[in-house]
Amino acid sequence: MFRTIWSTLVGLLIEDGQLAIGALLALAITWAIAFSGGDQGRDVSGWVLLVMVLVLVVANLYRAGVTARARVSSAQR
Amino acid sequence: MDPVTLAIHATPAFIASAVEFVEATTIVLAVGVTRGWRAPLIGTVAATLTLAVVIATLGVALVTIVPEHLLKGVVGALLLLFGLRWLRKAVLRFAGIVAIHDEELIYQRELAELRVQGLQRTEFDWIGFLIAYKAVLLEGTEVAFIVIAFGAAGGVALSAATVGAIAAGLFVVALGIALKQPLTMVPENWLKFGVGAMLCSFGVFWFAEALGMEWPGDALSIPLIVLAFLASSWLAVRMLRALLPQGARVEARNV
Repeated sequence: MFRTIWSTLVGLLIEDGQLAIGALLALAITWAIAFSGGDQGRDVSGWVLLVMVLVLVVANLYRAGVTARARVSSAQR
Repeated sequence: MDPVTLAIHATPAFIASAVEFVEATTIVLAVGVTRGWRAPLIGTVAATLTLAVVIATLGVALVTIVPEHLLKGVVGALLLLFGLRWLRKAVLRFAGIVAIHDEELIYQRELAELRVQGLQRTEFDWIGFLIAYKAVLLEGTEVAFIVIAFGAAGGVALSAATVGAIAAGLFVVALGIALKQPLTMVPENWLKFGVGAMLCSFGVFWFAEALGMEWPGDALSIPLIVLAFLASSWLAVRMLRALLPQGARVEARNV
């Protein structure tokens, strides 16, 4: 059981570290908006978080694709 | 419990748990076929009981002791982190960058390993017991996490998530018994893709609720959030396919 938790944590923070850091940053920004923006801030916080996470997913995968392409091209050379 | 609540909380837990049960069933099947059924079945029951204790103590304690908004915030953040990981892997698999999870290959590998270990059986086959126990416990821990995560909204949600997970277990095990071979026809990557999107959606929904936001239509906005995740992930799959030459494979940890 501890091995599963450990491997999940390692996977989350090391293999997918940039995604995890990006997500934590998005959560922190959402929290800041909700607490500093009053009622209006609270009402939009969920949508802001959703948009930030969607952009994060696409950006992270785009970066993964570019990295993979570079590795494939260098392996073919 | 009304049907909408049941559907919202039991279905995601059912689908997410089914993926984990397929992996555990594959290993138990391999042990049973090569070494006989008694020890792996006892191992499976022992692991199930261990998990029941974990869920009963941890899950109920979390839901009853920790304040609801705090629990939703923490679980929402965790769901988002884990969901993003599942979604990313599923997208990379669909795009052909990472190899698709192959139950048949896992089954054959497990069979070969067990045959190498030989059939020196004592009165009780401890190897068969331990392999089955470990597999069910490891995959089951993920099921426990899924149940606790989807049940974080409160007692009703926890019951519905538990029902969903138990139903998934019974369904997958019945399928395994009926077929007596690895469940290769289960579209695992599709399920992981859907579950990743659902985990992320519940994460966003609960985290915002914990901050005091009221979603329009309450839980009815969850399907919309799921759709948004599915759409952007599908966009990412197409983008990756366009970026990479066909058949190019890279280790997940390298991208």
